[in-house]
Amino acid sequence: MTALAGPQVTTFTAFRATLRRDLLIALTRRNDLLNPLMFFLIVVSLFPLGVSSDPQELTRIAAGTVWVSALLASMLSLDNLYRADYEDGSLEQLLLSPQPLYFMVLAKNIAHWLVSGLPVVLLAPLLAYMLYLPADAYWTLMLTLLLGTPVLSLFGSIGVALTVGLGSRGLILAVIVLPLTVPVLIIGAKAVADASLGVSLGMHYALLGALLALSLSLAPLASAAALKISVN
Amino acid sequence: MFENLAFSSVTEFLQMGKYTFHVWSVYGLFAVFVTVNLYLPRAAHRQFIREQKRRALRDAQTAQPIEADEGRPDANGGE
Amino acid sequence: MWQWFFRLGSPKWFYELSGRWLPWLVVAMTVLLTIGIVWALLFVPADYQQGDTIRIMYVHVPVASISLACFPLMAVAGVITLVWKMKLADMVAKCAAPIGAWFTAVALATGAIWGQPIWGTWWAWDARLTSMLIQFFLLIGVIALRSAIESPDAAARACALLSVVGAINVPIIKYSVEWWNTLHQPASSFSMAEDSPFGPEIWVPLVIMIFAVYLFFVISLILSTRTEILVRERRSQWVVDLVAADKTQGA
Repeated sequence: MTALAGPQVTTFTAFRATLRRDLLIALTRRNDLLNPLMFFLIVVSLFPLGVSSDPQELTRIAAGTVWVSALLASMLSLDNLYRADYEDGSLEQLLLSPQPLYFMVLAKNIAHWLVSGLPVVLLAPLLAYMLYLPADAYWTLMLTLLLGTPVLSLFGSIGVALTVGLGSRGLILAVIVLPLTVPVLIIGAKAVADASLGVSLGMHYALLGALLALSLSLAPLASAAALKISVN
Repeated sequence: MFENLAFSSVTEFLQMGKYTFHVWSVYGLFAVFVTVNLYLPRAAHRQFIREQKRRALRDAQTAQPIEADEGRPDANGGE
Repeated sequence: MWQWFFRLGSPKWFYELSGRWLPWLVVAMTVLLTIGIVWALLFVPADYQQGDTIRIMYVHVPVASISLACFPLMAVAGVITLVWKMKLADMVAKCAAPIGAWFTAVALATGAIWGQPIWGTWWAWDARLTSMLIQFFLLIGVIALRSAIESPDAAARACALLSVVGAINVPIIKYSVEWWNTLHQPASSFSMAEDSPFGPEIWVPLVIMIFAVYLFFVISLILSTRTEILVRERRSQWVVDLVAADKTQGA
């Protein structure tokens, strides 16, 4: 945080410093990095056990299963977003810094997505294979997750920012954030399902891209406002 | 006006065609909904006023011993 | 104009004004509700396809349409809370959330009961029912957040922000659910009601019921807001005087 102290620090350097710092912290805490990924893996493998091991049935539910599990995994990892910073007081420092809070929050969200969303995107094809997802849907799955998981992080960030000061946050965070993520889930899962049917996907990507653009521009503002409310 | 009635008898009205359960459960639910949402805020309002009155009364009762307490040091000092 | 706006923000002023309006609102609601229900139950002709289930519409449609108004209302109150820090706006928002959840739940229940004879099932993942369900979840989220935050001031602003975010999301959710649903199966949902001849003998009682239920919403909101005002202002002199002057309750 000391890097941000000088008055001559530009927004961009501050942005980069925050991003770097969050990434470094995440890399030193391996568990935080691995747990959501393991959770993703476990939840996906519960579906064949709970539903059926029949390949045809699994093919049908594969898209939805991977998407729902990715959603839940990103929910689980959200807690790391502001928690530690809130406890050691560096969040307060961030709020007091002269830099526009929008970019600081954006940096933290991007760092969070890089360590929690991106691994999920990369692991997804393996799980999709285990669920017998048709081969032509793989790229769609990865691309929709690539467009969709940042939206989950950005929306989730609002929820975490609102609840960061509370004692027990686990369930309330899910109750607040999950309904907001419905559009991403619907469009993402449907795109993957439609890909295996050979439907043209331009509309799906356009909608996901629009959601990403909207949440990139607005969600950090809401998160920043929420942080100001919570840290007081 | 009554020639426009949709039913020719009370039993027919109560039966609502094939949909006795559907129609009456909706109207029953609606009646409960309206009653509860008008009654509960009223009850809370009354409850609040009752509580505040009780508190005011209690404050008025406890006020006197406190006055007596304040009087005592004076009396002690006089001795 | 601004003076009026800020006077409206005074809880005491609102309490007194709403106290004067309430009897008239209740009279208007009772009259409209009685006319509407009697008309819907006794005089509306049975639909040639739906039979007497058409009478469910006179409850379901007003309740559903007003439950949709709840989130915009909370969002507007939220903006007022965040920008002008007006206490009254937060009290209204706080009281509107549970009432809105009630309306949404009743709209869902009556929709399910109406849907059963039409679709042959109590629940269908119809676009309207689904987006109504998600809206219900959003309202539950706002209520849960309110009860989780201890400081009333922080709770007010946090819920205001969440309401605004939710209100921006509601149309997105609605659009995406419709898009998802209509590609899966053609929208057969309420087409029956839309196909049937929609004469004045059908829609006049519906309009009456919509006004009646709107009044009911307003009255219910005013009643709980008044209690909320008293609870939050209980230390101020005017509430103390008001309690002391109240003769209806034995102490």
